[in-house]
Amino acid sequence: MTRIGFRLALAYRSNIIITCVTLVAQVFLLRMIWTSVYGSRPSAAGLTLDALLAYLTLANLQAFATHTIVAHTIHDRIRTGTVFFDLARPVGYLRQMAGFQIGNTGGGLLLLAPVIPVVLLVGSITVPVNGLGYLVTLALGYVIAVQLALLISLIGFWTMETGAISLFYRLVSQFFAGTMVPLTFFPGALGALAEILPFKYMGYVPAAIYVGHISDVSGPVLVEVGWIVGLGGLLVLTWSRARRRVVIQGG
Amino acid sequence: MAEVFRSLRLYVLLQRASARGALQYRLNTVIGILSGAIWQGTGFAFIWVVMHTFPSLAGWGLAEIAFLYGLRLTAHALAMIPLMSVNDIQWVVRNGEFDRFLLRPLNPLVQLMGNRMGIAQFGDLLVGVTLLAVAGQNAQISWNAWLIAFCFVAIIGGALIEAAFFLALCSLALRMIDTFALRVFVDDVFSKFGSYPMKIFGGVTEWLLTFVLPVAFVAYIPASVVLGKLDTPLALAAPLLGVVLVALAYLVWRRQLDHYQSVGH
Repeated sequence: MTRIGFRLALAYRSNIIITCVTLVAQVFLLRMIWTSVYGSRPSAAGLTLDALLAYLTLANLQAFATHTIVAHTIHDRIRTGTVFFDLARPVGYLRQMAGFQIGNTGGGLLLLAPVIPVVLLVGSITVPVNGLGYLVTLALGYVIAVQLALLISLIGFWTMETGAISLFYRLVSQFFAGTMVPLTFFPGALGALAEILPFKYMGYVPAAIYVGHISDVSGPVLVEVGWIVGLGGLLVLTWSRARRRVVIQGG
Repeated sequence: MAEVFRSLRLYVLLQRASARGALQYRLNTVIGILSGAIWQGTGFAFIWVVMHTFPSLAGWGLAEIAFLYGLRLTAHALAMIPLMSVNDIQWVVRNGEFDRFLLRPLNPLVQLMGNRMGIAQFGDLLVGVTLLAVAGQNAQISWNAWLIAFCFVAIIGGALIEAAFFLALCSLALRMIDTFALRVFVDDVFSKFGSYPMKIFGGVTEWLLTFVLPVAFVAYIPASVVLGKLDTPLALAAPLLGVVLVALAYLVWRRQLDHYQSVGH
């Protein structure tokens, strides 16, 4: 399953190339906007412009890396009834789908690799303040992203249709991950909401640790592990209910 | 002229049929419109959050940026609502369906446009018009009849610019040149860079976005005029660019059509 996901990413190269070009344009745009608003200010909300630009570059690369297609795939397979073949395999369904997503991310990263230097150059990067903490929190954040995507796609076993929910999820999660604005700048209630939601572990938290804006790593790691355990339990529970509701269309 | 009116009447009939089709799936249509609106809403939420901390972006306040954003979005929606189904031209050509269009006594472009309406773009329109209405009151513009008229003309001009690039790129599909990726990119540049004051990009980028891909003419230049930031008579002619470009794009379309070869089914 992992290999299928990997191959799929390579097969739809043109899709990923468009995403790469968009990524470069996005990072460039953000750099220009933020440079302009900072003007001659040395720092705002505890972030210097250099740290902020490095943060944005990383957060956008991360958004690409933690982007999941598994919900889309599951949606498609439920609608066409081909989900039957997945269920017939002697491997747990969730494990298959997680494997598929991880392989797909791997393929995407492979294609992204040549673009990374361009993105780093366009967005400007600094040396990491805490490289290890960055990698650990990002890896855990990725697990949360996959779990949430799986959870969203399981809704399809009840509603058959998850296209709109996935799109909505993607937009909201990207926004609250702090891909375009660090959470530090979120005002009042919006900031409080962003702090509670788990999306910040895909963008804000790792990138802020990288640039040294967050110095405490153990706290976020503990909360991340908590999310992973909680979501894992929820997934198993949801799946045990969903499998009893399976409808094979066109069987 | 009679030919144009006849095409227009048939186009309206086709669109009415497609609207009726879309309304059969009412929930899907509502979700489509909503997702368009949410997409644009989060885009503007970014600006709102940034400008909460920094009140000025290259000398533009939040209400002024909102006006620019709304102008761009409305123009975009008006360009894409009628043209959305042309986006499928690749498949229409590949399936040999386009041959049927050529046999019917109606301009093939009108038939293609009549296939279905852009649904999500109504969401764009909703957000765009709302932004224009709210920002128009808050941005300290001394409105008069002339300025309102200019706004309408500018929106149509902007829509025509986007439509022209879209149509010209789509028409290459008639010769089996896949421009889908390029269209996504051009649309992305229009929507990302077109909603901000060009000044922030500076130098080469600003020049490219003004004279090579005229993103600046869609909303930035008209908005500058309305907000009293730009006062050259030349800027008033900006909406005319759309008319010229769309005429050129139609010529490109006609030329590609002359070279069309059926895939043979």
